[in-house]
Amino acid sequence: MRREVIVGANLSLGYQSGKSRKEVLQGINFKLFSGELTCLLGPNGVGKSTLIKAIMGRLPVWEGTLTVQGKSINQFTQKELAKNLAVVLTEPFIPGNMTVTQLVSLGRTPYLNWSGYLSDLDKKAVYKAIEDTKIAYIQHERLSDLSDGQRQKAFIARALAQDSPIMVLDEPTAHLDLVNRYEIMQLLREISVQKGKCVLVITHDLDIALESSDQIWLMNCGEDLLKGLPEDMVISGNINHLFPQEKFEFNTQRGRVEIKNQPGDFDIEGPLELIFWLKKALTKAGIYQVNGPIRIKNEPLFIFHKGKEYGSIESFIGGLRIGNK
Amino acid sequence: MRSSRNSFLLIVSVVVLVLSLFLNISLGSVTISTGELLDGLFFNKWERASFEQIILNYRFPKAIVAVLAGIGLSISGLQMQTFFRNPLAGPYVLGISSGAGFGVAILILAGSIFGFASTAISPWATAFAGTLGAGLILALVSLVAWRVKDSMTLLIVGIMFGAAVSAIISVLAFFSGAEALKLFTIWSLGSLGGLGWNQVGLLSFVVFLGLIPVIFSIRSFNASLLGESYAESMGVNPNRLRWLMIGSTGLLAGAITAFCGPIAFVGIAVPHLARIVWKTSDHRILFPASGICGAILLLLCDAVGQLPGSAQSLPINAVTSLIGAPLVIGLVLRKNFSKEF
Repeated sequence: MRREVIVGANLSLGYQSGKSRKEVLQGINFKLFSGELTCLLGPNGVGKSTLIKAIMGRLPVWEGTLTVQGKSINQFTQKELAKNLAVVLTEPFIPGNMTVTQLVSLGRTPYLNWSGYLSDLDKKAVYKAIEDTKIAYIQHERLSDLSDGQRQKAFIARALAQDSPIMVLDEPTAHLDLVNRYEIMQLLREISVQKGKCVLVITHDLDIALESSDQIWLMNCGEDLLKGLPEDMVISGNINHLFPQEKFEFNTQRGRVEIKNQPGDFDIEGPLELIFWLKKALTKAGIYQVNGPIRIKNEPLFIFHKGKEYGSIESFIGGLRIGNK
Repeated sequence: MRSSRNSFLLIVSVVVLVLSLFLNISLGSVTISTGELLDGLFFNKWERASFEQIILNYRFPKAIVAVLAGIGLSISGLQMQTFFRNPLAGPYVLGISSGAGFGVAILILAGSIFGFASTAISPWATAFAGTLGAGLILALVSLVAWRVKDSMTLLIVGIMFGAAVSAIISVLAFFSGAEALKLFTIWSLGSLGGLGWNQVGLLSFVVFLGLIPVIFSIRSFNASLLGESYAESMGVNPNRLRWLMIGSTGLLAGAITAFCGPIAFVGIAVPHLARIVWKTSDHRILFPASGICGAILLLLCDAVGQLPGSAQSLPINAVTSLIGAPLVIGLVLRKNFSKEF
């Protein structure tokens, strides 16, 4: 059922210009499985795109092995690889005159002869890809007239039409709003689960990666990938390897990254939820100490401090600042 | 619905092309009406013997050359623009016209300096010299293309070769006499006429050869619209495409420049015109569309250049730029240009 699709073992990659060699990744091990969505996270410049280039066959493997469908990547011709792997890249050229259908049709390129004629089978695949990504309503629109979210879906549809068991996406949710980010990842999840595709997504969206991925890989400089089920990564604290630990931490209760709270000296009484937000606002405003007890209550919000009443956290902080002067 | 619109426009443009062809042939220093023209062409009944001479040996070959040059330059330009992903690329970015100019400059200018050329230079000689020069530059650019894999580097190298060769031409021009200088200047202004049927035959053959690689790269050009990385991910071999493109534009632009001189403007502007009119980026449509538009544009420009009632005609380069530039500026301003590309 779960099948190894891409396997990298002791992989070293880098760039060579003339005699100077710059090694970016070394000793990387991983396995990508069919029917699974894997998210790769890591800081900028750590080598995520380098890994993708190697998987796309655009970068030679220096050391170790990289196999796709059990066959070494070096043995693939360009066309064979194209039938196995489709990509969605960052910052593509966008030919404004092209319609969504034309873009999706380009996905059929590896199956066409020189004339570029689409057979009925090709047209069916294009139509299916448009249906599956739910963009039928914009299929005749031109790319220059689309929103970023719609365009990204169109590019995913193009990759889908390529009908490959593997899909690799480089930051597909960059520049998108919250709803679109969730929609795109949900779509990718559906694709991986329903079609049994192996989907690898590079992203900086930790929240969404935790929400939608089957596996999370963390990439850090000079280390092998940290891999695991997102939930395991959270519980074990491995997820904290993603950021410099003196400043940020992953709040396991809230499931998100937070700036480490400076220990504050507050005496607050009230519902826990409100205390949390009040503390947060105070430390953000640079207030680490408040003399005397504070009482907070909700509906309507009131903050009582030293005999005064405040209707919002903002006015409370304003009051504290005046009092301190 | 879309594709039927495209086909309809293509048919219309072919009709316009045929009309332009007749217009072009009937205009000139001697007025020949369309009726007389058709009688002559189809029934071989000429009003006057001189008409037959004018039409068959002068105007008709010139019109054919206009069609060939229009098709060849536009299609070279389209290939360059898509390959380099650059709307300002044209058939001459790889230095082909400078190369041809270099060959002709050696023949005319250096010939006059060192005294090995006569004052009367046959079109065969200029064509031969132009072909040699264009071939030389193309060989150099190919050497670079063989070594570097990056398309932007190739573009810059092509332009630099062109600049270097132009500098040599300037030096030659500086030292040559007035007579030779005028001869060279006239060549560099471009001319569609003055070619005999033999030369037209050869030019047709080379243009035909140059169009063959285009047919085999349509699919790859379409995939290249999204950039090199995407093209490769779809199984396009960028090396193969590059060599097909160099071969095709070398033959097309090289031969046309060798026979007609460097014809400006058509190669850059016509592909944009085709994109704006057909509203597509599909090369299955754009290649024929650009070819036909290029032919129409050159035929009309040549017709305009025939000063009525005079044996003189304006140099084709001046007309293409004078008419074409405002036309394209208008179209570009009306539409959001960068969106169209």
